[in-house]
Amino acid sequence: MPHNSANSQGATRRGILFGGAAVSATALLTACTSNEPSGKEAPATNNQPVADDKPGKKVTIGFAGPQADHGWLNAINENARERAKKYPDVTLDITEGSNDTAAQIGQIQTLINKKVDVLVILPTDGKALTQVGLAAMKAGIPVVNLDRVFASPQAFRCWIGGDNYGMGLNAGRYIGEKLKDKPNAKVIELAGLDSLELTKLRTQGFDDALKNYPNIKKVARQAADFTVESGQAKMAQLLQAQPQFDALWNHDDDQGVGALRAIAQAGRKDFLMVGGAGAKSAMDAIKADNGVLKATVLYPPTMSASAIDLARALGQGKGIGGMSELEIPASVTLYSAVVTKENVDDYLPQSFT
Amino acid sequence: MTHSDVSDASEVKPQDGITSPPHKSGRRPLGLRLDLRNLSLLGVLAVLIAVGGITKPDQFLDTGNLQLVLTQASVIGVVTVGMTFVIISGGIDLSVGAIVALASVWATTVATQEYGFAGILFTAVIVGTACGLVNGVLIAYGRLVPFIATLAMLASARGLALQITGGTTQIVTVDSVLDLGIPDAYVLGIPPLVLVFALVTVVGWLILNRTTFGRRTVAVGGNAEAARLAGIDVRRQRLYLYLLSGLCCGIAAFMLIVLSGSGQNTNGNLYELDAIAAAIIGGTLLTGGRGTIVGSVLGVLVFTTITNIFALNNLQSDVQQIAKGAIIVAAVLVQRRTVRDEHA
Amino acid sequence: MAPEHAAPPTAPPPPAGPLLTMSGITKSFPGVRALDGVDLEVLPGEVHCLLGQNGAGKSTLIKVLAGAHQPDGGRITWGGETVALKSPIAAMRLGIATIYQELDLVEGLSVAENVFLGHEPTTAGFVVRGRTARTSAAALLARLGHPEVDPGRLVGSLSAAQQQIVSMARALSHDVRLIVMDEPSAALDPDEVDNLFRIVAALTADGVAVVYISHRLEEIRRIGDRVTVLKDGRAVAVGLPARDTPTRDIVSLMTGRNVEHAFPQRPQPVGQTSAAPVLSVQGLARQGEFEAIDLDVRPGEIVGLAGLVGSGRSEILETIYGARRPTSGHVVVDGNRLRTGSVRAAVRAGIGLAPEERKAQALLMLESVTRNVSVSTLSRFSRGGWIDRGTERSAAQQATRKLSLRPDRPEARIRTLSGGNQQKAVLARWLLRGCRVLLLDEPTRGVDVGARAELYAVIRRLADEGLAVLLVSSEVPEVLGLADRVLVLREGRLVHTAPAHELDEHRVLDLVMEGSPAA
Repeated sequence: MPHNSANSQGATRRGILFGGAAVSATALLTACTSNEPSGKEAPATNNQPVADDKPGKKVTIGFAGPQADHGWLNAINENARERAKKYPDVTLDITEGSNDTAAQIGQIQTLINKKVDVLVILPTDGKALTQVGLAAMKAGIPVVNLDRVFASPQAFRCWIGGDNYGMGLNAGRYIGEKLKDKPNAKVIELAGLDSLELTKLRTQGFDDALKNYPNIKKVARQAADFTVESGQAKMAQLLQAQPQFDALWNHDDDQGVGALRAIAQAGRKDFLMVGGAGAKSAMDAIKADNGVLKATVLYPPTMSASAIDLARALGQGKGIGGMSELEIPASVTLYSAVVTKENVDDYLPQSFT
Repeated sequence: MTHSDVSDASEVKPQDGITSPPHKSGRRPLGLRLDLRNLSLLGVLAVLIAVGGITKPDQFLDTGNLQLVLTQASVIGVVTVGMTFVIISGGIDLSVGAIVALASVWATTVATQEYGFAGILFTAVIVGTACGLVNGVLIAYGRLVPFIATLAMLASARGLALQITGGTTQIVTVDSVLDLGIPDAYVLGIPPLVLVFALVTVVGWLILNRTTFGRRTVAVGGNAEAARLAGIDVRRQRLYLYLLSGLCCGIAAFMLIVLSGSGQNTNGNLYELDAIAAAIIGGTLLTGGRGTIVGSVLGVLVFTTITNIFALNNLQSDVQQIAKGAIIVAAVLVQRRTVRDEHA
Repeated sequence: MAPEHAAPPTAPPPPAGPLLTMSGITKSFPGVRALDGVDLEVLPGEVHCLLGQNGAGKSTLIKVLAGAHQPDGGRITWGGETVALKSPIAAMRLGIATIYQELDLVEGLSVAENVFLGHEPTTAGFVVRGRTARTSAAALLARLGHPEVDPGRLVGSLSAAQQQIVSMARALSHDVRLIVMDEPSAALDPDEVDNLFRIVAALTADGVAVVYISHRLEEIRRIGDRVTVLKDGRAVAVGLPARDTPTRDIVSLMTGRNVEHAFPQRPQPVGQTSAAPVLSVQGLARQGEFEAIDLDVRPGEIVGLAGLVGSGRSEILETIYGARRPTSGHVVVDGNRLRTGSVRAAVRAGIGLAPEERKAQALLMLESVTRNVSVSTLSRFSRGGWIDRGTERSAAQQATRKLSLRPDRPEARIRTLSGGNQQKAVLARWLLRGCRVLLLDEPTRGVDVGARAELYAVIRRLADEGLAVLLVSSEVPEVLGLADRVLVLREGRLVHTAPAHELDEHRVLDLVMEGSPAA
């Protein structure tokens, strides 16, 4: 996938097609079909119909996710709901979010018993919910696995999610390019919850990117826990520990609110900061360009909207536009785009609060 | 005591090991007798300061760092003062973290922020106190065990906080609130949050040591049945104690809003455990009847200083957590030894 | 009778020598001397009964015997050799097993697991052989006359009697030569008591000695060989024949004095002042505890309530004090009827209580003397909740000095004081409050014998100053010596009222026991 092209494409098409949230995968679905008179008609390359926004066969989609106790997760639920509303042929059966593995298994079991056509599952814990994914597939219900991946590929028909390693990588590249001419540059990292796999991936991607810039050294790292409070506390300590540094990579924009607060309280302005996830407050700050926050790396919550698109296509037995294959892909990894002052206007509508 | 002279047992002097001079009736200067317990905690703190000073002399021994440590201690410190009262009375308040979360999100909704500084402060304090009142009524008059009542409050306050925010972070836009957290607002170099913490500590100390309320708290915790038979209204006392804890949570919630510039339903995460741990290593008996505000505050400072030293040395959170556990055990062991010596 | 897997006692002691002797055992706890030179001698194969009131030292003594308490002084011999019972395990190794009144079983474990708790039959030292344990437990239970108890059942699901059998099976699972049974019949039906006696007889026939503790005199007559009576931490009678010592002698040994006390002089005229009563109790009753209690106490008068344990003595005091709610009747102080069931109403009206369980019900053990004395009077020393500690301390000290509380150090911790001085602190609390009615429940419980006379003098002095005192004591001489007027209580009813000087100990004992099975 070329650098950023899918995103810009999505951004241009968005106005015509949905006027709402859209990401790269959405663009793929719709790119070549927007002017087709009917979704039932075959595109030139094959006989498989491709999905579009014209009403088609009625599809009931079951959606199960974790409790929306974080801005990003809240946006996941909202985007799924919004997207489903766009389609008159889609009925969305959305469960009460739960962080309890057992409770979520029960909820998914209920959806299977209701015989929904397609399932979209964002598991609280991918490994622990693999069995119920397998059960759904065995019952003939295709599963779209959202973001946190099941342990077995047999447990889902299609996986779509973000790229944690890529987030770190792109954050590292962005910082690297900014500092590549500065000798002995120092960077620090404010990581997320250390007990999560994704935090390790984000750190690893960041470290790998920095290896390309021998003049840059990561001098400190502290882990917060995705909360504003912990962001403030850990950032305050980092600032005290490092009287001088050139850049900061913060894994999460929510904890970034606290981190920015600590930076303001310490009166520091002498470095650039890159955030993660794509919260509205972060994008607003990037747009205003009056502080240290210069960029944020996306982990797009719009992926749930794309998941609905994929589920609808599965339910209607259609393929994906813009691709030669008859079937939708088995896995879609979203690109972690870097949002800067230059392109922030394109992304602001996708941001979450 | 041997069994020889039974007949004149009335003459036997009690076998106490306290060596203060007899007939000492004069006042002690402001009652500043530091408990042996607190002394040992001061020792722990001194060792920590030495470690910090040796490993990171430039960053650790620095006005900015002192301000930082005290600021970071202030929010949980205020919660711990309230918790100390509750534990001394033989109770427990597991809901403090959740109350801080609820009060901080309620006080930062768009609607509340329209009322500015006063609206935010007032809402935080009222919500905290109201939660404390519910705890108190359930425990004192509903006769629920404190563990259960406050556990229920923990669950529902967190749930309500989530419902209010919908999982989003509520950014504070009221400048007068935000300005309290930046260096321009420091009074003689002291951050306002630290001043509030100091004030709450002093008032807490005075209430515990100089008022009927404090005396009754200790009596209820030391022996609730004896307190009842001495004519103390034990239930009303309990009600006020949870109310007090809720009030402290409300104040802490406002401080957290100032510190983090936002309200979030994840605020105050695990405050209950931090506050209980600080009180315990500060010498407060979990069974009630004994405890000091000074000890609890020292306990908070020990924890904050550890976090600070570890962060300055770039040690990761896994090591920090292990060290925290070890400190709790070590402090309690040292304390037990000192207490035993006191009785020897 | 030893279980199959345990070897029988290798060398039975010679019949003439005692199995166990304890001599001059002393044990003090902060503030009280629980054992004050106790002697006990147990022969092989005998049932030795231990008698005494609550607080006489029985439970401390059996805990010393079980290795749970270490004595401060004295000597213990076992089969003629001096031994130290350093721990419960050490006592068990010698062959001493104890069956406590509060059964020490784990309810969540099975019968067999309880029987072999701590000495499970194992393979390779740690793999529990469950089947062996169940088989051995079943054999023990059968021998104890309860083959129907399934060794695999959870102890929590058994009846009290069955649990006791399990406890006994646990004792017998060791190589046991002496079994201590603390009130084993208290929770049993008559049938079950018969089975218990059968077991005891079988044990003693095998040469095992039993130390049997019970309040029921008729049981002691049925199975006992010899009796040792404890009082105030001393053995007041050792080795009395269990079957033919007269009941009255035993009761008076338990309740009477081994040291004559100087009781303070009563003022003249005795207890018959014409003044109106301060405290007046009218028709007070509590279901299942006491009924139709009428009594008056005048200023300057000490009224004593005499009765056995369970006669409702303490319950009456606590109900007058508002700590219990009466089912009917009311309490009048100075002509004003009090709200029932409210301690605060009683305290406001001027009633003070020195309760029976001083440490559990009256004292703040971690606190100083001053704070214990001032706790009921705090608002007097405070303005807007702010305590004036100087005034508080001097007022409390004034009260404690008046009662000659020692040491005269307001900051001393209450737990370092002797029992008598702790009691004075409780009295000082009410003296400081200026109360008009003083309710004293067992005021000399846990007070060293020598210190009692002083406490009696203090109580009399308070009465002389105009207080109305209502006194409860299980010690008849104390009631007779201290009170002006005595009310005799039996099974929750007042059966007799008379001036103290018209009664003697035997008359009172007859009245309290009349018709009771022990008489």
